[in-house]
Amino acid sequence: MASNNDGSQGEKIGWICDYVPEELIMAAGMEPVRLEGQMENVKEADSYLFSNVCPYVKHILEAGLNRETEDLAGIIFTNSCDGMRRLHDLWNHYVGSPFMHMLEIPKHRDEKGLHYFREQLEHLKRELERFTGKEISSQGLKGAVSLLNDRRGRLMDLFERQKQEEPPYRGSELLDLCLEETTRPKEETARIIQEMGGRPSNALSTNPRPRPVRILVTGNVLDKPNLFRIIESAGAEVVAFDTCLGLRHYTDPVETEADPISSLARRYLLRPPCNRMPGLNEKIERMRQLSRDYTVDGVIQSRVKFCDYALLESPVLENFAKNRDLPFLSLENDYLWADEARMKTRVEAFLEMIRESD
Amino acid sequence: MKADFENILKLLDNKIARRPSAYDLFSKEMISTFLRAFDEEAKVVWVSYYAFPMELLWAFDVVPFDFEIACNTLPTASGGNGSSIMMSAEKEGYSRDICSFYRLVLGAHIEGILPRGDLFLTSSYYCNGKAKTNEIIARSHGKESILLDVPNEISASSIRYVVTQLREIAARLENLTGETLDLDKFRQIIRHSNKARSSYQKVNALMKEKPCPWDGSRAGPLGISGSLFWGSPIREEINQMLIREMEGRISGGKTYPETYRILWFPWVPVQPTNIFKTLRESHANVVMAESARVWWDELDEGDPFEALALKALQNYLVGTAENRVRDIVGLAEDYEVNGAIHFSTPACIHENGSLSLVSDALKEKGIPLLDLEGDMTDERNYSPEQTMHKVTTFLEVLS
Ligand code: SF4
Ligand code: SF4
Repeated sequence: MASNNDGSQGEKIGWICDYVPEELIMAAGMEPVRLEGQMENVKEADSYLFSNVCPYVKHILEAGLNRETEDLAGIIFTNSCDGMRRLHDLWNHYVGSPFMHMLEIPKHRDEKGLHYFREQLEHLKRELERFTGKEISSQGLKGAVSLLNDRRGRLMDLFERQKQEEPPYRGSELLDLCLEETTRPKEETARIIQEMGGRPSNALSTNPRPRPVRILVTGNVLDKPNLFRIIESAGAEVVAFDTCLGLRHYTDPVETEADPISSLARRYLLRPPCNRMPGLNEKIERMRQLSRDYTVDGVIQSRVKFCDYALLESPVLENFAKNRDLPFLSLENDYLWADEARMKTRVEAFLEMIRESD
Repeated sequence: MKADFENILKLLDNKIARRPSAYDLFSKEMISTFLRAFDEEAKVVWVSYYAFPMELLWAFDVVPFDFEIACNTLPTASGGNGSSIMMSAEKEGYSRDICSFYRLVLGAHIEGILPRGDLFLTSSYYCNGKAKTNEIIARSHGKESILLDVPNEISASSIRYVVTQLREIAARLENLTGETLDLDKFRQIIRHSNKARSSYQKVNALMKEKPCPWDGSRAGPLGISGSLFWGSPIREEINQMLIREMEGRISGGKTYPETYRILWFPWVPVQPTNIFKTLRESHANVVMAESARVWWDELDEGDPFEALALKALQNYLVGTAENRVRDIVGLAEDYEVNGAIHFSTPACIHENGSLSLVSDALKEKGIPLLDLEGDMTDERNYSPEQTMHKVTTFLEVLS
């Protein structure tokens, strides 16, 4: 639980999409918690949504319908995609939460988009204030910005160390850390981040072995470590991952000099775009740049099923990689990675192909 | 593609010569627009007719080309064989989970049968796929895809955001055509649009007559594809002709027998189907389609940009499902329907994602809803037998 200025415990506010500034929730004296869903089975949600809806959306709805989210005082939805829009509507009607807010995220990452997004954030701030009955002070907001900037800096340092010839962390460890960092109270994860930061560079190289195949994982929602474990158990390393919760989530601090809401708008809207944003060339360039920076041998794109954006972008990225002789594997998953055996075969074959071409 | 359109146009010309009809006039004008897009001289603007305030384009000397609607005319032309084109996209890695509309467009693009675009306009509504597909195609031509991003909420702030974009798009059109936006002409276009809006309201009012004097399964496509003509005098011509036809049928007692009145939703299958024939034989008339509703306010000619921004924001498939459900229940009551039929196309998540809400709300009013799961364009995902079985069972429920 987060502490309020008056020392009382803050309530939890769930967020779903990476474009929600956790800083605003914290400054309102609440605890931001990323919603995962991760239900064992999706049954109830299937009666409200067609079979071909993004499983991430479905799992969250299932959690709501099963009253697994009762500990939340509210949820901030985003207009990220068609599925999310409908999740908001279904939640509103069939689940309900004391606080519900739909945050619009413009698709223009320029002055007009920033202007609109800033107004959207002002609106969210007012709504949070109305809900809590407390004003969000500029001081409080600056405090939250500084805390999360520090977080980002520390996490990015960990990712930075992965560029070394011998990466000090397993990708799966980093993913676990990111998941914890976004779902547990911030003070509880501070120690873990610190400990990991202090780990010696050669921590993984106790058993001398040939240089492992280095993999960059890109994609959208990835909340299960299955893919990373498959890669690691096949003797390769995930040196970086650029997913909703990976590099994209921690890169780029919020400016601290300007007005905090404008700075939040800039940071969240201008950070590297995910599938839902236009800008194919920028995304291709980012994949290329990350592949170089982390000296990777191949890219695995992880995408949850039925995400239109990813489905349409995937062949373009693959084509780019093919033309650059960058091994690329696109893996579609059901969010829980239930089909692990098949994934394992495909990943192992991909890694083998890389090794053979060396 | 061009040859297909030429053939369709010939057929339509012959039909109109034998017996003119408003729907054929609309189809002919639309196909002629598609054909003009193949002109070397034309300035071709790719755009989504039903998801863009078309009045802005009529203010310039350009040919608006809707890649989705144009491509979806092809399966009709080829007897329902849209998948043969889709396969070209599937071979390039475009999954069958992508809406068949976009697989068809991407397939047509890969086959090189689409006309060239001088400007690639697209919009964020209705769905995720449109803007992304437009961007992919524009990029492959080395061009930029220009997005009209329309938020899900209406406020002074969202109106300003959309107005800014429309002004930027106008500037792009000025650049493309070398013309300067003529405000008087623009206002005249707004007047055309308003005039046609009001005659369209008359069309919709006539549909309330019992028996219904027109075929609601055609009102849907006219509502969607006919958006091309908002701002052009052609739209008023089509509406007036339609009104005369309907009034003639009412006064001449030439309406179809009507036992049941059916409400339809936006999508109708593009491939050949006997759904509507079966409904007619059972005296079940489709009396209204959600997409035929006049959902926007009269446009303020004093401030055309703001008026068009508002029109985009008010679109019936933008905004929360709550608003949509409220309007659908309103339609069901106004048109005194006995049942509602929804045709689902699987990947249309934004649309079918609110179906449970729609169904519950109609149920509360005692109106049964039939969902026909199929696919508008991909005949591989469509079973005529199953569909017919569902339709006949539904008709039994109604009786
Ligand atoms: S993965 Fe795609 S479809 Fe799913 S929530 Fe994210 S943007 Fe939406
Ligand atoms: S059917 Fe739906 S998903 Fe497909 S193109 Fe139309 S609006 Fe988009």
